[in-house]
Amino acid sequence: MQVKLEKTFPIDAPAAAAWRVLQDIKAVAECMPGAQITEQMDDSHYKGQVKLRVGPASATFNGELEVKSLDAAEKKMEMFGKGSDTSGASAATMNLTARVRDSGDGKCELVGVSDVTVSGKMASFGGRMMNQVSDQILKQFGDNFTKRVLALGEGAAAQQAAADVAKQPKEINALALMWGVLVGFFKSLFGGGKSK
Amino acid sequence: MASTAEDLDREQKLEGIGCARKRKEDPRFIQGKGYYVDDVQLPGTLFGAVVRSPYAHARIKSINKDKAMALPGVKAVLTAEDLKPLKLHWMPTLAGDVQAVLADEKVCFQYQEIAMVIADDRYIAADGVDLVEVEYEPLPALVDPHKAMDADAPVIREDLVGKDEAGQGKRVHNNHIFRWEVGDKAGTDKVFDGAEVTVKQAMVNPRVHPCPLETCGCVASFDKARGDLTVYMTSQAPHVIRTVVSLLSGLPESKIRIISPDIGGGFGNKVGVYPGYVVAIVASIVLGRPVKWIESRIDNLSTTAFARDYHMVGELAADKNGRIKGLRVNVLADHGAFNAHAQPTKWPAGLFSICTGSYDIPTAHVQVDGVYTNKAPGGVAYRCSFRVTEAVHLIERMIDILALKLGIDKAEIRLRNFIQPEQFPYNSALGWQYDSGNYPAALKKVMEAVDYAGLRKEQEEKRKRGELMGIGICTFTEIVGAGPSKACDVLGVGMFDSCEIRVHPTGSAIARMGTISQGQGHQTTYAQIIATELGLPSEVIQVEEGDTSTAPYGLGTYGSRSTPVGGAATAVAARKIRDKARNIAAHLLEVSPDDLDWDIDRFKVKGVPGQEKTMKEIAWAAYNNVPPGMEMGLEAVEYYDPPNFTYPFGAYVCVLDIDRYTGETKVRRFYALDDCGTRINPMIIEGQIHGGLTEAFAVAMGQLLSFDEDGNIQGNSLMDYFLPTAVETPHWETDYTVTPSPHHPLGAKGVAESPHVGGIPCFTNGVNDAFSHLGVTHIDMPHTAFSVWKTLHELGLDKRP
Repeated sequence: MQVKLEKTFPIDAPAAAAWRVLQDIKAVAECMPGAQITEQMDDSHYKGQVKLRVGPASATFNGELEVKSLDAAEKKMEMFGKGSDTSGASAATMNLTARVRDSGDGKCELVGVSDVTVSGKMASFGGRMMNQVSDQILKQFGDNFTKRVLALGEGAAAQQAAADVAKQPKEINALALMWGVLVGFFKSLFGGGKSK
Repeated sequence: MASTAEDLDREQKLEGIGCARKRKEDPRFIQGKGYYVDDVQLPGTLFGAVVRSPYAHARIKSINKDKAMALPGVKAVLTAEDLKPLKLHWMPTLAGDVQAVLADEKVCFQYQEIAMVIADDRYIAADGVDLVEVEYEPLPALVDPHKAMDADAPVIREDLVGKDEAGQGKRVHNNHIFRWEVGDKAGTDKVFDGAEVTVKQAMVNPRVHPCPLETCGCVASFDKARGDLTVYMTSQAPHVIRTVVSLLSGLPESKIRIISPDIGGGFGNKVGVYPGYVVAIVASIVLGRPVKWIESRIDNLSTTAFARDYHMVGELAADKNGRIKGLRVNVLADHGAFNAHAQPTKWPAGLFSICTGSYDIPTAHVQVDGVYTNKAPGGVAYRCSFRVTEAVHLIERMIDILALKLGIDKAEIRLRNFIQPEQFPYNSALGWQYDSGNYPAALKKVMEAVDYAGLRKEQEEKRKRGELMGIGICTFTEIVGAGPSKACDVLGVGMFDSCEIRVHPTGSAIARMGTISQGQGHQTTYAQIIATELGLPSEVIQVEEGDTSTAPYGLGTYGSRSTPVGGAATAVAARKIRDKARNIAAHLLEVSPDDLDWDIDRFKVKGVPGQEKTMKEIAWAAYNNVPPGMEMGLEAVEYYDPPNFTYPFGAYVCVLDIDRYTGETKVRRFYALDDCGTRINPMIIEGQIHGGLTEAFAVAMGQLLSFDEDGNIQGNSLMDYFLPTAVETPHWETDYTVTPSPHHPLGAKGVAESPHVGGIPCFTNGVNDAFSHLGVTHIDMPHTAFSVWKTLHELGLDKRP
């Protein structure tokens, strides 16, 4: 099954700084909660893994990442990733286009468009949650990315952001993610969200 | 016949045919003392767990077992490569096709078996599964059967490329399995061309799963010293399994023992041979230790034996009075990635041609095309005889649609078209000979019981107030008891069934059967048949099934064949014993056998009161005082080959109310009249009808295995898959008529599947009837609240005034 998402994150930093982070594939990958680049194959191909924890159980997804384009003029990056858990019980692919848009006043926005296809247990079992879960993952991605951009700046806020980046957990905590989904769901029920 | 109070008392003490005797099985089940496959604990048992594909269609680039093998406690990891030298990486199916035991270079459906990890315990095996690394190259998946024969459709079965048949006749496309036709095509077309009225409707019997509470599993134990193989298995057909295992493994059948212990529900799910069984057996032979494999619920719903997935187009031609002149049916059958359809070998669409139903339809033609898709193989008869549910659904929906078009009442149109009682034995346009029936009497009895006229009046008043009330009618005919060996076989073995009875010296007896109960109460029912036939109390008659080393060869229990075939074998075997007993009695009483009358439990000398021998006395004599030249003992075995199928029928009415704003359907009343011929145990019959109706309710109102566009199965756990509990299940009212089968020794026809077959269209007809005044012709099941709400929403009925 396929999930398409588009999200915009306002960043309180100049577009140039955000573009710098966006070109650093290792850093971008690590903005995904639990993700890590383990090996660079060539200029545009990487190997990586995502660690997922549900309570006491953990699973590792191994995958490959391909940077399909880096467009400095547009400040746009396109990448394609695919992975499966080690036993192959679940698999996923993702196309991600991320663009930095200058909003003036030394601020910018990160615009992310992704479509994720999942198969296996994740698709059968978690199908109905995919939209919400992807939304949560993308939100965390946006937060982490913003912090990395802010960390490039100066002052207390930058130091705080750098410290947060260092503390970023090395695996996705599925229970915390579920909590995020639930909170989002109840907010939408009581009119807090956009959707009705 | 019992004539005096004393006679009646003697007869009642036997607890024979007609007695609502409590089930002998229940004391152990309600105490938690059943003995199921997973209860089998053999010393040194290893556990197998299966590595499965996340993709519906993909090439396997590599399988790396190293990490799994390095895990302490893992004994082996078996893949197709390991089975290849034994030629066991593919196996034949019941439908003439072959199926990959473990995926051979390619996976063709999601959750397909790739490897089995064998380990010291279940936990290690499960951990081992996570460590097997499989590299895939995903391929485009074919999900929609309507696209299977497109020119650019992905080829699912590369092993069949270039072959113009797949074990079931000619095929015309790489994803085509067979075309099956029956009836008079030209004649039917002619009737349609000249018809006063025709109706046509497409409908789907969606892919569902029988979902028995106990999943499939086995314990395979190969004794290297003795060279014999014992397999405890969840099987509805242990003898057939033994034959298949022998053919596959090369072991002589005499060295193989298949034991089906207590089985927690089958409903067709446990007829087939599944890869898990085969790999567990191979693993046990290779490792010399018992190997246990038990499916998880997700495995069960995703891989072993779905049912239905029939995409049908029905057409009726009739005159203005609603008298049907012709039936035309075209079916597209989605068989999944391998044709493992459970069927008598020569019947690619099972007994679907019973689709002329209870009606006297002079001309008919049916065409069924089977296709491959990237879905799990199967196509079992889920609580029905082979494809009979689909057939009954088609005709029962079509006759309602015809009634709607002509403005004729839905009960009235049935009465106008019924096969009349005097027409039996009735030869249908599609080649069946219906044995007996009285359809008008059954429907009229139900109409009176539910006050049908009153219900229609109530409905009319409710419609004026904008309320939705539906009345569903179904008057079905089943075809069960497969079957006459001239028509039916499984892999060449005729579909007879068997019974062996031994009467012990003190007048108790044991009966061993070729059938196997999965909850039907065979131990109770068969004993009652013997009690009546032999005059021995059913309490002292032991019934044993499921062990191929002790039971006579039989084809097993499915398709409501136990009573029609196994029950007939029991009666005939008992009668053989009674004939011998007559000769012994004549010897003891020093008269000619012709001078004796059988009387409930004894032989009496005609016209000489007091000169008699009871069966108990005769049993004793059989072991010490038999006539000269007669062999000792009192036993018989019967392999019964039925002369025809049996044709149980029924008339059902349901009344339901639909909430306009939520789409919620409440079944207010369900009245089920069944005619299964002679009734052996009315209490068991009623229980079977309750169970069958509950599963009909499940299918009609909620069960569905759906897939996304990539072939990922959706809703394959009990979070989604609808198993009704006491909370959702309506109240059932049951009734009966008795029209014995003329060719069955007892007149019995079989009953447990009728309520499922007849119940499903009854619910669907009810839901459709609720909308019939609003221009709605047909809504497919399942009728979940969401589905019904969608119809309400389209009609603008969900808006509050």
